Amino acid sequence: MRKAMVLFAGLFASSVLAASPPAEGEKEDVPAYILHHVADSPEIEIEIPGSYEHIAIHLPQILIPLKEGACAPQMTDHGETHPGLLAGCLDLSITKHTVMMFLAALLLVGSLLIWSNRDKSKLVPRGVGANLFEMLVVFVRDELAVKNIGKEEAPRYTPYLLTVFFFILFMNMLGLFPWMATATGNVAVTAALALCTFVLTQIAGIRAAGLGGYLAHLTGGVHWLLWPIMIPVEILGLFTKPFALTMRLFANMLAGHIVIFFLLGLIFMMGSAAVGIVAVPFAMGIYFLELFVAFVQAYVFTLLSALFIGMSVAMGHHHDHGHAEEHGHKEGGASHDHGKAHFVGS
Amino acid sequence: MLLPTVLAADFLQVRPGLIAWTLLTFVLVALVLRWKAWGPILSLVEEREKQIASAIESAKRERAEAEKLLADQKTAIAEARRDAAEMMRKNQQDVEKYREELMAKSRKEAEEFKAQARREIEDQKAKAIAEVRGLAVDLAIEAAGKLISERMDDAKHRALAEQFVKGLPAGGAPSTRA
Repeated sequence: MRKAMVLFAGLFASSVLAASPPAEGEKEDVPAYILHHVADSPEIEIEIPGSYEHIAIHLPQILIPLKEGACAPQMTDHGETHPGLLAGCLDLSITKHTVMMFLAALLLVGSLLIWSNRDKSKLVPRGVGANLFEMLVVFVRDELAVKNIGKEEAPRYTPYLLTVFFFILFMNMLGLFPWMATATGNVAVTAALALCTFVLTQIAGIRAAGLGGYLAHLTGGVHWLLWPIMIPVEILGLFTKPFALTMRLFANMLAGHIVIFFLLGLIFMMGSAAVGIVAVPFAMGIYFLELFVAFVQAYVFTLLSALFIGMSVAMGHHHDHGHAEEHGHKEGGASHDHGKAHFVGS
Repeated sequence: MLLPTVLAADFLQVRPGLIAWTLLTFVLVALVLRWKAWGPILSLVEEREKQIASAIESAKRERAEAEKLLADQKTAIAEARRDAAEMMRKNQQDVEKYREELMAKSRKEAEEFKAQARREIEDQKAKAIAEVRGLAVDLAIEAAGKLISERMDDAKHRALAEQFVKGLPAGGAPSTRA
């Protein structure tokens, strides 16, 4: 993963630079600034161009105590914090990334309601928006759903895949606009999406093979004496898939933004506008790459979701032919996944 | 100095609240889009695909039909042409035959006509010869009477003359002799 390497190299370099005492008072703490910007926060800061001012919108804090008095604020060395879920406090506060996710959802629903071809008598979409959406919808249906799940079962899962694709795409793209943030650059968001795929994958497996077949599949089809080894491995395998989905999307989106920020931050770290001659075109290049990555990551997440669902669906079809074949199929799928991941990462 | 802050950075925290919000939003978006967007778009696309497929299918079928019709027409035309040629040939044959018949008939008629004419001529000739013979008998009697003058009675002379005439060759002999 070249991007991750760039990220870490950048972070190390910035740590070195940040460690040296600032020569002039106007030098800023660039890494802290970058981290502050890509991280979630309970307020939205809107910088005003040409000034040092910014408008901060404080977002509502919603704390639901599961136990009496569990949400009482505690003072620590980081400032005022709230106890976590384990302590019995459910933190449903609206944050920057939550707002961005809502915004992406609204934009997605709004634009699809406007541009889904609503004139039923006309079979051909009119206009750029309707054509673009239909093209993407047909792409997801034909290239992702049908190819990975199969013609019979694909229509059942196509709406989910479409929603995942467009939701991620809109969140990715939203982060590329000024003053906006990337919700998919937050682990919690990608984890939630991966959780949906995980649940749907298990449901697809149970649907296709039946509960017995599904549980039998967890044993890996080996002799029962090996079950104590096989079952943990299979269960681990179940969870690595959504974990990979989570981390891939999160790391890709976060890394791209940090790289852009860092390239622009170089100007301030070097304290010279001349650095901008190199840094700005580079940042612009990365920006366009990000635009591409926004599509690619949405595509990859959807592709892998379709692949996992397809594997679960195939569980039922291959069950009669024994487990060895099924396992072979699964490994084929996994190698496919690896190839895609490699393609995206490089 | 930075690395610990990076590791403890906010972006590596998984906030359950955000997971909950994401799940809620995602499910809502999925339901709304399934109801309002995916259903209509997908059904439209499927409808269009079906129409295009059926259009291609019917075009193919019509083309095949047209080709079949064309082939039929061609065979029909060829058959008609062959029939016409056959008919013409037959007609020509008929005409030829009819002409032959006509010719034969007219020839036969002409023959008959000729034969009848000849027969008539024969009759007329025989009649004329008989007349001439009668005249010759009278003339001979008159001449002989004038020559011999009254020495024989009329009955005797007549018998003699008839005897003489009988001695003459019968039929067309006088014409060949004359």
